[in-house]
Formats: sequence, structure tokens, C-alpha cells
Amino acid sequence: MLRLLTLYLFLGLLSGTPAYAVQPLPVVASFSILGDLVHQIGGDRVSVDTLVGPEEDAHVFDPAPRDAARLAAAKLVVINGLGFEGWIDRLIKASGGAPRLVIASVGVSSHRALIDGREMTDPHAWQDVSNVRIYARNIADALISIDPEGGNVYRANLARFDAELAALDDEIHAAISAIPSERRKIVTTHDAFGYFALAYGVEMIAPQGVSTEAEASAKDVARIIRQVKSEKIPAVFLENISDPRLAAQIAAESGARIGGKLYSDALSKENAPAGTYIAMMKANIRELTKALMP
Amino acid sequence: MTGFSYLYDLLITPFTDFAFMRRALVGSIALSIGACPIGVFLMLRRMSLVGDAMAHAILPGAALGYLFAGLSLGFMTAGGLIAGFVVALLAGLVTRVTILKEDAALASFYLISLAGGVVLVSLRGSNVDLLHVLFGSVLALDDNTLLLLAASTTVSLLALAVLFRPLVLECVDPLFLRTVSQSGSVSHFGFLALVVLNLVAGFHALGTLLSVGLMMVPAFAARFWSATLDGMIAVATLIGIFSSGIGIVISYHAGTPTGPTIILSAGGLYLLSILFGQRNGLILRVLPRKHLAA
Amino acid sequence: MTNTRAGSIQLNDVTLGYDRHPAVHHVSGCFKAGSLTAVIGPNGAGKSTLLKAIAGMLRPLSGTIARASETSRLAYLPQLAELDRDFPISVEDLVGTGFWRKIGSFRRYGREDRLLIDEALEKVGLAGFNKRMLGTLSGGQLQRVLFARLMVQDAEMILIDEPFAAIDTKTVSDLMGLVRHWHCEGRTIIAVLHDMGLVAEFFPDSLLLARECVAWGATSHVLTPDHLAKARSMIEANDPHANECERAA
Repeated sequence: MLRLLTLYLFLGLLSGTPAYAVQPLPVVASFSILGDLVHQIGGDRVSVDTLVGPEEDAHVFDPAPRDAARLAAAKLVVINGLGFEGWIDRLIKASGGAPRLVIASVGVSSHRALIDGREMTDPHAWQDVSNVRIYARNIADALISIDPEGGNVYRANLARFDAELAALDDEIHAAISAIPSERRKIVTTHDAFGYFALAYGVEMIAPQGVSTEAEASAKDVARIIRQVKSEKIPAVFLENISDPRLAAQIAAESGARIGGKLYSDALSKENAPAGTYIAMMKANIRELTKALMP
Repeated sequence: MTGFSYLYDLLITPFTDFAFMRRALVGSIALSIGACPIGVFLMLRRMSLVGDAMAHAILPGAALGYLFAGLSLGFMTAGGLIAGFVVALLAGLVTRVTILKEDAALASFYLISLAGGVVLVSLRGSNVDLLHVLFGSVLALDDNTLLLLAASTTVSLLALAVLFRPLVLECVDPLFLRTVSQSGSVSHFGFLALVVLNLVAGFHALGTLLSVGLMMVPAFAARFWSATLDGMIAVATLIGIFSSGIGIVISYHAGTPTGPTIILSAGGLYLLSILFGQRNGLILRVLPRKHLAA
Repeated sequence: MTNTRAGSIQLNDVTLGYDRHPAVHHVSGCFKAGSLTAVIGPNGAGKSTLLKAIAGMLRPLSGTIARASETSRLAYLPQLAELDRDFPISVEDLVGTGFWRKIGSFRRYGREDRLLIDEALEKVGLAGFNKRMLGTLSGGQLQRVLFARLMVQDAEMILIDEPFAAIDTKTVSDLMGLVRHWHCEGRTIIAVLHDMGLVAEFFPDSLLLARECVAWGATSHVLTPDHLAKARSMIEANDPHANECERAA
């Protein structure tokens, strides 16, 4: 009888163990890139929820009540800061709680730039890989302070990830150095690559006037062509112009190459080439190299 | 001489400097030559709104092309042409055989067609704006598109020459035509086919607004300058060509979207024609002029 | 009695209508070659319908219409309604369409044809109107132009439907002169008319129609008070309770 009881107790303990040992930490990240970073550091110890998912636009994100609920249920909220999430204060208030908030970009040196026609602090700091190493450290510190038991796991993951990031940084520098210096400039409609430009020495030129709306004017087209010709810009990345044929026409007449897709502030969906941060940066440098190498 | 060189810089230099400007001009001139005569007939037959209806009618054809072959311009254009022909055919048939008149017949089929197109597009589930993809821009005319325009204009002119007399008689005295000839049906459907051809070629190359606008507005203006059919066709074509040139130049200097600017130029010429036209112009009616002796 | 001379038209028990309700029933008879016949009757008698059928525009519900000549030698002038008077076409070109059977849709008409047009315009009293646009003509002038076209068509059988409605008397008398001239040339002419005076004066034969043939033959025999009274008593409307017609098969 006693042996049976012990068996039951033992089985009970065993069955109870998984529930006791690994209840993942609920973390909410503001957008897909941060979500990936948290996942890299936290591993299985965290369950990450992302507010602005892959291929979605954080600038037009409109928080819904269900997002407030997710926030309320989270133990940690990771945001970019630098003004990227204009809606976050409202959302935190709506969630009724004051979850532990970590701003990933603390310690990053920022600059001001022209974003969407307005001058402001450029929030796209993740385009410089060395900044993301700071992001990762901030996230790791936050996770460790909330979940000390996982400290070893987090530190190990951080070390591994940091090494990967360092390698990535070198890889990007090497790729750019391989491009002749007079060819290190592109025309792009994205205004999110300021940090990339500063860190790696590629000049990002905004096309004068060509809007992303459907109807271009002859004046705008002429201006871009003149600009590309006179500054000898090797490639144009005009994916945001809704008419691909217009981009082709501009490229043909100005002698520039048409660049592929550049990922600025969101990851792609899983089966596409930019499913994680590192994959995203590698995809971008591949496109740049392809476009700029003579 | 400086006045002349200023004018030269204003009007000619943009075209000598930029290939895309030359192409835009050639393309819209080609379209004018093919479409303006058709527009005169449409106006005289009180079918001026057909162009707009047709733009919607071709949607299911483009949708089928998309379902079949994805974002392939060739398939989508072919699909659009077929859908346009079918709608025109059915409308013509219903007009001739039933009690419904031309306007009701056409409206019925383009509405059905449009609804069908919307359903087909939603089947595929994606949010792609098909019409946007199908319709081009006058600033983006590559070699293939120019060839398409040239071919469609040539076919259109030849067919119009062949169909001219039966078409005229069918407009003026259809009953008489029926008593003397069998070619009434041929000319009727042939004409509708020409309308579809010019419109679809125009959509593909230049977008909906430009295609329909360039077909119709010069015809309306020509009404005020000529009382004969040949005269109207000639004047309409000339106005179409001029509007194209003026519109492109204005878009170049003022930075306005090119397609709409061409139509606005045509519109301007149209308003001037209403006022100053030699036939039924308003000014002419207001000014006191002595009537002739006999 | 059938007559197969070129230009004659034979009606065999013809019934015409829309939607199974007959507009005109069981008409039999013959328009002899070279005859000048007026088709008369009250409103709604089926006169225009009959003419349309003879012209080949309408298929009979039953019965047959036999034309001794091919339809290419037939000219039909319907009531004015269908012409688009705003269309920019000149008098000369409109008359020129009368040459259609001769030259088809491609060839333009030649010098001789142009002379024929001039001659026709002169005969209808519109000399010099060649370049005038359709829209500038008065009702009477337009009718003259259409008669000029008829002339140019040079047809063996001529059918005209109410050609003189709302036309001034001078034009009427001029155009009637033309009709008589055609009659002298041996053409078969059938005209729907309302003016009994004209009929009595100019038309040797008449067909009195009141949804069925009331009388057909020499005008003097047709235009009797009895016949006219019978025609007037015809029922205009369709009978919603009508049974199938039991008459001649």
C-alpha cells in the first residue's frame, strides 16, 4: 500500500514538474525586429508577442483593445524608443497597468534627420549593427532582472548572439569596402537608412520629388534622371513607386541599375528571405552589393 | 533672337534632352491618331460615356488573366481585350435583337461584368489592385508598349477606313442601311470592337483617364469648329495631338502629373472652343453680326 | 390570280403582327407590275406594318409575300422618325447613299453618279443644295432630299410611307408630280396616305385596310361610303380574350 502511494506521489511530482519548471515569460515587443531580438536572447524561456508584425507598417499602426490586453498580460514590454512608437503611451495607459518597460535603444547615439518631410530624431537605429549589440545587451539586462533564475541562459544566448552580430558587422563592412568608393551611393525612397549610411559609408539619396503615389510628373522624372546622371549614381531603389515600368524607364534612361527590395523597418514573413534580423541585414547587403558592384 | 531661343528652351529642349519625353509625345500622338476619330463617332452616336463603362467592363478579363497566369501583363491585357469584346458583342446583340437601346444594353453588361470581376478577384484572396497593375503611365512607355500603340492605331485606322461608309449610314439612317445592305451588323460590331481595341491599348499604355479623355474631349471640342464629319475628325485629331504636346510640356515645367495635365489641356482647348468656335461658338452668337443677303 | 411580271408583288393570306396579336389579318391580293396603289385606312389599320413587310423588314406571322423581282430592285421610304438629323452629312452624300446597291461599301461614286445626283436634286427642286448639311433643312426640304435619293436608287418597286405628313402644299404637289413621272416610267408604286383628296385625284388603285383587307382595286370602287363606314368600325385595340383565329388557313 505504501509503495503504491509513493509511486503515485512520484508520478504526481513528475507530471507536475513541467508545469512548475518552464512557464515561459510573456513578453511583448513593439515590432517584428525587436521581437526577433527578444527571441534570440530569451530562447524558450520567453514567449514573445509582437504588436506590429512582419511586413506591417509601424507608422500607421493603430492599436486595438486586444493589444492593450496583451500588454496587460505581459511581464515585460520592449520598445524601440527614439520616438518610433508614437502610440505606446496611449496604449500603456489603456492597458491599465504599468508593465516593466525597456527601451531597447538606451545608450545608442542618435542623430536628427528628415523623416517624412519633418525633421526629427531618426528612430531607425537598428540599421547600424553595432547599435543592435547595445539593444541586445539592454534586452538581456531586463530579462535577467525580471527572471534571475534564467540568468545563465540569457547570458549565454547574449554571448552567442553578440558574436553573430559582430561577425555580421564585419561582413557588411567588408562587402561595402569591396565596392569602389565612387559607387557607394544609391537613390532610394526609403528614409530609414540614415544609420546605415553613417555607419557603413553608403550615401542614401532621396529622389527629388517623385512621390509614391500613382501619378508622377514629367518634371519629377526629369529631375531624377538628371540627378542620377550628374552624380553618377549606380543604382536606384524605387520599389515604392507604384508603377514598376516607370522605375524601369528611369533606370534605362539614366543608365542606373534597378535595385531589388530593401527591408527598412520590418522583417518579412517566415518563408521569405528576411525572417530574422540577421537574415534581413544580410538580404539588404546582398541587394546593395548586387546593385553597386561594377 | 532671344525670344525665339527662350521659346525653344521652353518647348523643344525638354524633348531633345530626355528620351522619356520623346516617348511620351510619340505615344500620345499615336493614341490621338487612332482614338480621336473613334471619339467623334461615339459622340455623334450619343455614346460618349462608353469609354468609362468599358474600363470597368474589362476587369473580369484582367482578373481571369491574373487568376490564370499571375501578374503577367500579356495575359491580363489579352484577358481585358477579350472581356471588352465580349461585353461589346453582347451589348450590340441585345441592342439589335431586343427592345433595349444601346445605352441600356451596354450598361447592363458592363455592370454584370464589373461585379463578376470583383468576385473573381476576391476568390484569389489577395489585395492586389488589378486595375492599377494593368494600367500604365505615359511617362513609362518602353519599346514594347510603343509598338503596341503603333500597331493598334494602324489596325484601327485601316478598319475605320474600311467601315467608314457603312458606319456613317448606320448612324444617319440605319433603316435605309438595312434595306440596301447586309453590312449593318458588321459595321456595328466592328465599330464596337475598334472602341475596345483603342481603349484597352490606351489603358495599357497610358492609364484609364488619359485613354478615355484623349478619345473623347478633342471630339467634343471639334464640334465647334466643323460641320462636316471629315472636318470634325481632322480637327479632333489635331486637338488631341496639341493637347498631348502642351500637356507634357506643362507637366515638365510645372511638375503636375502628366496624364491629367494632358486631359486638362484638352479641356482648356475645349472650353476655348465653346467660346470662340466658328460653329455655334458662344461669342459668335453674342456678337452682333449682319446676316448675309441670301 | 398570280401575276409574275417583273415588279409585281403577290400577297398570299398574309398575317402580320406583334406578340401573336395580329396588326393585320389574312390579306391576299396582287400589286400588279407598274401599278400605282394607295394604301389607306384609319389609324392603327396596319398600313405601315404592311408596307414594312412588303419591304422585307418584317416577317409575316403566316402567309407569304412573293416579289417577282429581287429585293435589290425595291426602294423603301419609311416615316421620318429614324433619321438622325443632327449627323454631319451633306445633302449630296445622303442622296449618294442611294447608289449603295450599285457600288457597295467601298467604292466612291464617280462623275456620272454625281451628275445623276445633281439631276435628282434639280428634279425635286433643290438644285444647288449639294453641300448643305442635313440639320439645316426644313421638313419639306428633307422630304425632297429623300425623294431625290429614291430617284437615284432607280428601283422597280417603290414603297413610301406617309411621305406628305406635315409637308407644305407646294412640296406635296411637286413630289406627287415626281410620283406620277415614276408611274409613267413603269415602276410599281405603293404609297400609304391619309389625304383622300390626293388618293382620289392621283391614284388609280387603292387598298383599303382596317386590320384586314376591306377593299382592293380601282380607287373609284374602293372609296365608297359603305367601305369607308366598314373600315371606320374596325376595332383598334387588341382583344385580350381573343381565341385563336379560325379563318382561312
